[in-house]
Amino acid sequence: MASGVDQAVGMGLVGFSLLLFIYYTLWVIVLPFVDSDHVIHGYFLPREYSVILPGIAALLLVLFVGTFIAVVMWKNRKPKKTQ
Amino acid sequence: MTKLMEWLSVLTVLGVLWATVTFDLLGLDPPEAVLQVSWPLPVFLLVALGCFSLGTVGYRVATFNDCQTAAAELQAQIREAKTDLQRKGLRF
Repeated sequence: MASGVDQAVGMGLVGFSLLLFIYYTLWVIVLPFVDSDHVIHGYFLPREYSVILPGIAALLLVLFVGTFIAVVMWKNRKPKKTQ
Repeated sequence: MTKLMEWLSVLTVLGVLWATVTFDLLGLDPPEAVLQVSWPLPVFLLVALGCFSLGTVGYRVATFNDCQTAAAELQAQIREAKTDLQRKGLRF
C-alpha cells in the first residue's frame, strides 16, 4: 500500500486531470453544437483561448525543463584538471 | 518500413484529412459547428494525451505496492553486508 501522502497526491492528480479533460472536452467538442444564447457559454472563454492557453502551457513546460537541466548541469560541472 | 516512417505516414494522412476539413480545401463547405470543432482538434488531442498521462501517473503513484516488511528486511541485510565487508577490510 502506498503511503497516505502518496495516495492523496496520486488521487489528486487523477481528479485534476479528469476535471481538466472534462472541461476542455466540453469547451472544444460540445460547445459548438450548443445554441449560442445558452447560459453555459458564459462559463467558457472565446474559442481562440482553447488553443492559446495550451500553447502557453507547453511553452512554460519546455522553459521549465530546459532551466532545470541547465541548473543541474551547472551544479555538476567539474573544473578541468591541469597537468 | 521503419517505425518512424510508419508513424510519419499515419500522421501525414491524418494531417491532410484535418487540413482538408479545416481549411475547406475541397470546397465541401462543412457546417459551421464542424469547422469550429475541427480547427482546435490537434491541440485537443495533445491536451487529452497529456491529461491521460497525468492521470495514469497519479493513479500508479496512489496504487503503488509498497512492501514495508520487504523494505525493512532489505535495509537490515544491507547493513549486515556493510559491517561484514568492513570487517573484511573493504572501505566505503
